[in-house]
Amino acid sequence: MTFEKRRAKTKQEIPTTSMPDIVFMLLMFFMCVTTMREVDVLVQFKLPEAKAIEKIENKRLVSYIWVGKDKRIQINDSLIDLGKVEEIMYGKKKTLPELIVSLRSDQNVDMGLITDIQQALRKAYCLRINYSAMIKV
Amino acid sequence: MIKKRKIPDAEIPTASQADLAFLLLLFFLVSTVIDVDTGLGLTLPEYVPPDQQVEVKVDPSRMAAVLVNENGEVLVDNNIEPVFRIKDILKPRIESKINLPLNKKMIVSLKTDRKTVYNVYIAALDQIKQAFFEVRDEYSNGKFGRKFNDLNQEQQEDVKNAVPIIISLAEPELIKK
Repeated sequence: MTFEKRRAKTKQEIPTTSMPDIVFMLLMFFMCVTTMREVDVLVQFKLPEAKAIEKIENKRLVSYIWVGKDKRIQINDSLIDLGKVEEIMYGKKKTLPELIVSLRSDQNVDMGLITDIQQALRKAYCLRINYSAMIKV
Repeated sequence: MIKKRKIPDAEIPTASQADLAFLLLLFFLVSTVIDVDTGLGLTLPEYVPPDQQVEVKVDPSRMAAVLVNENGEVLVDNNIEPVFRIKDILKPRIESKINLPLNKKMIVSLKTDRKTVYNVYIAALDQIKQAFFEVRDEYSNGKFGRKFNDLNQEQQEDVKNAVPIIISLAEPELIKK
């Protein structure tokens, strides 16, 4: 007597025809929720931590000023002198009146430098600022 | 006899389409950012040249002066306090002025030394903002039964009028030598 191995007659394949559609859907999702990385950050910094934090709703209004550990200042894609901050920010303010300036500064920078930047911003009429900080848990 | 020519199936191979889509997806994952910007918002005062500055006398009872020196020591109204106490000191003072008109609300003035570390300044500013936020939350909880962030726009305006956040940054002084 011969034994016949029992095998399921159904196919054991996962249908892959709709996989591209699923992946494209994922792609669409990512294209919608993210924004393009615009600049390379050239300075090293570690943000301070805070609790009373607010989110900036509209990313397109934000313009960044980076201040690194070594006190170098970066706006847009290049490192600049303190004296140039006012000129550059005034130009930005003219093209985008609702500008919010986000100050991404290292924890251990002196307030002297921050005050100087703030004075430059005040002269350039960029009055809405945001001290970038991480959420403290 | 004419044989009917068999037409070959015209198909685009779709087996690699998924791979292509994954590649595109990866490209977008790498080249974009999702992180939401978070931070402490503040509105700077307009710049006035030093010779045009006018001193405005403010009732000392509505002022709280927070001073941070270069060693990170904090002075609240001339008493030395640890940074994390600022919130508890300011809260009752802000609360006591909720029912007063706008020109009698609390003003918190924050002043730092040029050598103060940024981190301590942020910690102090954070404490001040927390004090204002907590008073706002408690006020809106008492009046509308909800926290400030869950209120609708009209109610938020109402709370904002009752508890405005007034933080004054002291005008920087000339560098002492």
